[in-house]
Amino acid sequence: MPTVPQMRRVVITGMGAISPLGVGAEALWQGLREGRSAIGPLRHPDAHRLRVKVAAQVPDSFDPTANIEERTLIMLDRTSEFALHAAREAIAQSGLDFSQNDLGVRTAVVVGTGVGGENTQDEQSKRLYADNSPRAHPLTIVRVMTNASASQISIAYGLRGPTFAVASACASANHAIIQAAQMIRYGMADAAVAGGTEACLTYGALRAWEAMRVLADDTCRPFSINRRGLVLGEGAGIFVLELLEHAQARGAVILAEVAGVGMTADASDIVMPSTVGAAAAMTQALADAGLAPEDVDYINAHGTGTQANDSTETKAIRLAFGAHADRLAVSSTKSMHGHALGASGALELVAVIGALRDSAVPPTANLDQVDPACDLDYVPNVGREMPVRAALSNSFAFGGLNAVLALKRAP
Amino acid sequence: MNDTTQQQVFDIIAKQAKIDVATIKPESTLKDLGIESLEAIEVIFDIEEHFNITFPDQQGANFDSDTAQSLVDAVQTALDEKAAAGEGSK
Repeated sequence: MPTVPQMRRVVITGMGAISPLGVGAEALWQGLREGRSAIGPLRHPDAHRLRVKVAAQVPDSFDPTANIEERTLIMLDRTSEFALHAAREAIAQSGLDFSQNDLGVRTAVVVGTGVGGENTQDEQSKRLYADNSPRAHPLTIVRVMTNASASQISIAYGLRGPTFAVASACASANHAIIQAAQMIRYGMADAAVAGGTEACLTYGALRAWEAMRVLADDTCRPFSINRRGLVLGEGAGIFVLELLEHAQARGAVILAEVAGVGMTADASDIVMPSTVGAAAAMTQALADAGLAPEDVDYINAHGTGTQANDSTETKAIRLAFGAHADRLAVSSTKSMHGHALGASGALELVAVIGALRDSAVPPTANLDQVDPACDLDYVPNVGREMPVRAALSNSFAFGGLNAVLALKRAP
Repeated sequence: MNDTTQQQVFDIIAKQAKIDVATIKPESTLKDLGIESLEAIEVIFDIEEHFNITFPDQQGANFDSDTAQSLVDAVQTALDEKAAAGEGSK
């Protein structure tokens, strides 16, 4: 990755989340830290005829209408509801006022999502094909479009900088955060609102996942030999990224530094992961951050709980870190918040920020039987108090797309 | 074992692998026949559609390593279960 001279540094000054562990980034972090899994029986009107038995779903206590005007609400798919609420939390925490000094003009919005407005799509398809209605709802397009979340955040806060969606399946959130960080580093923006959102537990999508036969019927057991696949989740994580000097000048509380990024493609199989591609993304992120392997204490793994991912990712970590791999704490928080696809990297960034800030690594839940092919320290079942100087957050998507963030403690 | 079931399953496999059905032996795995990863899941889907059955989930295993005979057996089991369920409901 080319390094620009006198690189502008990027920090995170706000985080927000809507997740299966509840409303708010702190609810998510405290749950993960305590090793609480939000995976449970699937709640869905068609659950009785689906083979999918479990999921990690945002609790019903989430009220999408809270403090959102009616005229905005009608525009929102569940995906955008999650994103807008998470953005509001992150922006409030950052303390930024985008109307001051034209900051809105210098602020980007980049939101990752795997599929966009899936609930609206499913609902309107049912209306047309099953109910034989002659017309779709007039707001179908503005709810479904993948950029809806980014646009709604831009409109709500008057953010007029570069604004767009990023789609790379399960790596969408990390790719989005990387785009935002790079724009700040290269001087295209001074702040950014970025993250990922997903809400795709529809009948159609669940049937499609069933057919791929990668879903666990019990729970998500990353790195455990009895793992039976991934568990679908949903939610959003949104962050305020800011130029370090900008944050320091206004005395903002800095949560962490986005120190480096790595992006690669496997260019091999559409679904089977590659050790080389994943390792290359980690190596790039380390180099970009100016970190030696020994500087890193924690990796939030992609850790889906599929047979293929967990052993491949283990080999990739060994390839990228060499002997230091044995001294790393590695955990998959998907064992608790499920796999929220395009939002997963964002939910996991909340875990990484928590680890850096509170010197506490969240565990890998449900790891009860060691797999000889997965031979790292996965912090099984119980979180660990330990200083974390720097950490990586891995996302590896179907399509062979890898995006890795390197985070450091707040400077 | 019903030869007809076997023939139908082998035909589906041959079509996906683009090979002569005569080259498929009961002990051939899908991988032996050049069918891997997503293609193997397509074979499973084609078989389910053809017989109107649903295989139980098989997490933790690779379909690539399934033998042609094991698929035939699984189809027969599913057909038998379907028949039994049909009788039970009468």
